[in-house]
Amino acid sequence: MLRARLLERAAAWARRRQGEDVPPLVLQARRLYILPTRAGVAFSVLLFVMLVAGLNYTNSLALLLTFTLVGFMLVGMYECQRTLQGLELTQAWALDSHAGSTGLIELRLANGRSASRRALSVRCRDTPGTRFDIAAGATGSVQLFYRATRRGRVSIDRLELATTAPFGLFRAWTWLHLPLTAIVYPRPEGQRALPRSGAHASVQTAPIAGSDEEEWSSLRAFNQGDNPHRIAWKVYARGGALMVGQYAGSGGDEHLLSFSGLEDLGLEARLSQLAAWALECAERGAACGLQLPACQLPLGRGAAHQANLQRALALYGEAAL
Amino acid sequence: MKPAAATALSSAAPPTRSGMRLALGGLLLAAALNAHHTAWWCLPVLAAASIWHLRVNLRLTRLPPRLVRVAIALLLTAGVLLSFRTLNGLEAGATLLTAMIAAKLIETRATRDWYVILGAALFLLLAACLDRQQLWRLPCYALTLWLCAGALRGLDGGSNQAPMVLLRGAGRQLLLALPLALLLFIFFPRLSGAFWALPSGETAITGLGDEMSPGDISRLVESDEPALRARFSGSLPPVALRYWRGPVLHDFDGHTWRRLRGQMAGMPELNYRGPAYHYTATIEPNAHGTVLALELASPGDLPSVIFTGDYQLLAAHPISQAQSYELDSYPQATSNAGLSTPMRRIDLALPANRNPRTQSLATALRASASGDTAFVDLAMAYLRDGGFEYTLTPQRLGRDSVDDLLFATHQGFCAHYASAFVTLMRAGGVPARVVTGYLGGEWNHFGGYLIVRQSDAHAWAEVWLADRGWVRTDPTAVVAPERLTRGRYDFAGSGAGSSARLLRAPWLSNVLQGWDALNAWWQDQVVGFNFRRQLDLARWLGFADRDWQVLTAALGAGLIGWMLWMSWTLRHVLRRARPDALARAWGRIDARLRRAGLARAAYEGVVAHAQRLARTSPALAETLLPLANQYSQLRYGSPGSPEELRALLSAARKFRVPRPRP
Repeated sequence: MLRARLLERAAAWARRRQGEDVPPLVLQARRLYILPTRAGVAFSVLLFVMLVAGLNYTNSLALLLTFTLVGFMLVGMYECQRTLQGLELTQAWALDSHAGSTGLIELRLANGRSASRRALSVRCRDTPGTRFDIAAGATGSVQLFYRATRRGRVSIDRLELATTAPFGLFRAWTWLHLPLTAIVYPRPEGQRALPRSGAHASVQTAPIAGSDEEEWSSLRAFNQGDNPHRIAWKVYARGGALMVGQYAGSGGDEHLLSFSGLEDLGLEARLSQLAAWALECAERGAACGLQLPACQLPLGRGAAHQANLQRALALYGEAAL
Repeated sequence: MKPAAATALSSAAPPTRSGMRLALGGLLLAAALNAHHTAWWCLPVLAAASIWHLRVNLRLTRLPPRLVRVAIALLLTAGVLLSFRTLNGLEAGATLLTAMIAAKLIETRATRDWYVILGAALFLLLAACLDRQQLWRLPCYALTLWLCAGALRGLDGGSNQAPMVLLRGAGRQLLLALPLALLLFIFFPRLSGAFWALPSGETAITGLGDEMSPGDISRLVESDEPALRARFSGSLPPVALRYWRGPVLHDFDGHTWRRLRGQMAGMPELNYRGPAYHYTATIEPNAHGTVLALELASPGDLPSVIFTGDYQLLAAHPISQAQSYELDSYPQATSNAGLSTPMRRIDLALPANRNPRTQSLATALRASASGDTAFVDLAMAYLRDGGFEYTLTPQRLGRDSVDDLLFATHQGFCAHYASAFVTLMRAGGVPARVVTGYLGGEWNHFGGYLIVRQSDAHAWAEVWLADRGWVRTDPTAVVAPERLTRGRYDFAGSGAGSSARLLRAPWLSNVLQGWDALNAWWQDQVVGFNFRRQLDLARWLGFADRDWQVLTAALGAGLIGWMLWMSWTLRHVLRRARPDALARAWGRIDARLRRAGLARAAYEGVVAHAQRLARTSPALAETLLPLANQYSQLRYGSPGSPEELRALLSAARKFRVPRPRP
């Protein structure tokens, strides 16, 4: 716990010292920090014991071995720091997500030097991070996750980019303070059935997550963001294009999701229910609209419409920016 | 960029396959380097554990249950206790470590376990270094270190790499570390004494021993191992005087000659006269603890050496590492004190009921001699004319070993004749003793020193003559006079095979001498570098005695210098990738456009940029746009010919931003 508190302190100090980072940026030496890992500390103890043994028995070869390993460790420490130094971060963005899940952050990194940078890792706070290597002279993107806990606008204040190259005895890291914000949608949950045209009554036209290819009435071309459960894999396997199944009548379905019909639930539960309904509509390919006290969204379909809808739910009660 | 997989970072990344292989190799090699002093079952157990580990890793065998693994560890510990009766000391410690790692190896999975394995491998390497420091082992040690360093780079250093890549990186890292290692080796403050002593077991070192049993040896093994090296300041002693005195044997039970239990009292009372030889003798580790010195050494200023009444130089501590002594010797020194009664009794004692024929021979010779000197001469004459043969492969002797030699086999080497001669003397009433040591020494012209080998081991006799004191008498000299003057391979005669003849080839002898000189340098300058030598070096460099502040400052300056050198060298290795000719050419165009206020935005590609500019400037549409299209063709299209590339490069050089038309 002490370690965590100290680290938090150090991070706050680094934040004051470094200020906000705006990509593109090149990692400079003054913002890199380095400490031995647990293995590194154990290795140092080993070296100390070897040194004492060598000195005690005035054994030249043992001393030579020890001193070579000391140098080996120091060279490795320098290599570790150089693994991060000069790495270029060209772009960074965060994607929206639902509360209770993990959201995606993507960084674009460029390695301008003629040697690969290895054993890199990047993570956001307490999430499992991502390990990666970058080849010499390569550019690429790396994805990591943030924990979406609470509905609303979140700003990802700190990322940690680290490396244990070349031998895991040292760990060099830097804190990135990027202007990353994402919107966390309400947690999509609720037991109520999907209302039809603003009414609470619902008409089940098709199973919700149907991958039952027999029930599809037609196929259309796959678009980014379509439900993977509805891809017609049989068609694809025969060598056809990537197609998505559609249910009969789904084109005609219309749902107006209204905030006012759910008075018996608490605020968050209401928003969750609405978010769940909106997702269900998207799943079925049905058109849906939203009625909130502050704003109204007309009926519509597609990924952009869905995002607008969820965003409105996410920011309910927050000052619109 | 490698595909980014999301994995929990709380634990270290799993070890790579190459890393594990190298670690296993390093461990096995380190254990093999300890094979000479660990228990015999150690290496097979480790090899079996490695195979078991590989099988578990390849899912061929299930991991044995915890109880079984604990049982294996206990069993191995018991094995160590059975083999050594202790867990203390270098041999038992190295054996225990190897055994425990063998047990650990079976269940090794995580990176953490592999760090433990590598730590143990390095510790085993240290144990090997503590035990043996010969030059020929250096490459083996270096190879082990290299493997371990490569394995370290494969544990938590990113995705899997080929072993050769790991080794190349580790080699670079080690080479960069080497100057620092040498700097620290020379300047890091050493200790003048030891915190604690290493309990060492019985060391079996070939060559001279504490006792001599001529009858048992039926074949003398010729060993080329060096026994000592002597660096003379001034002239060399003549070949016939190169008697290196070792243990003196007084006690004879009819079969075996032994040293006296307890030390001989008193400093030698010698009359030092005649020419003196001043030299530094580097004594290789030996079992008898004697500082081998040219006869007869004077007790100089040697703190850790005890002089005994029978002119031995005993080392205060066992000589378990090569050590150097500065000595003065006077071959013509004579004793000027009498022989005490207890000593006379000891040096006249013979076992009762042994060697009766020798006793009667001594009585007969004694009767026909007029005095002690004449008796010695008669005995020598008997050995010279009695048809005795010098051979390194004599027949075995029975219970009455001297009788057998003198009256039955008639063949033997120095130990046989020394034993027989001293027995004759004692039976005739002349105090006598056996002296063992070395006779000879080969001049090494590369190193400028005399090297005495184990194969030069020799035994001779000393007799007490009332008017002259102890006199060296070498019976081998009359049996085989060539043993004294000729090279040591000559007397081997027809028994020696082609190897002996090959050794006389000048080129080979040069190579061997060079190798030996290198060994001597290693022994003197590296292995023997200690507290005293460090002070000498500091003084030579101009630092006052014990001026550690200055020395520390020098060490710090060296450290900073090394850091600068190392970082500069690594920066060179990890330099920025040089853009190719095409990118450099377009960089120039970009720079010109930027100066004209038409800079390319961060989001724009080359063609998009050119298209944007072309929309506003017709002049650029004519010049820049075709160039940009050509660029994109060469960069991303099918590989263009060198002519096309050259054309674009020259066009890019000539490109100027046209002045906007008014």
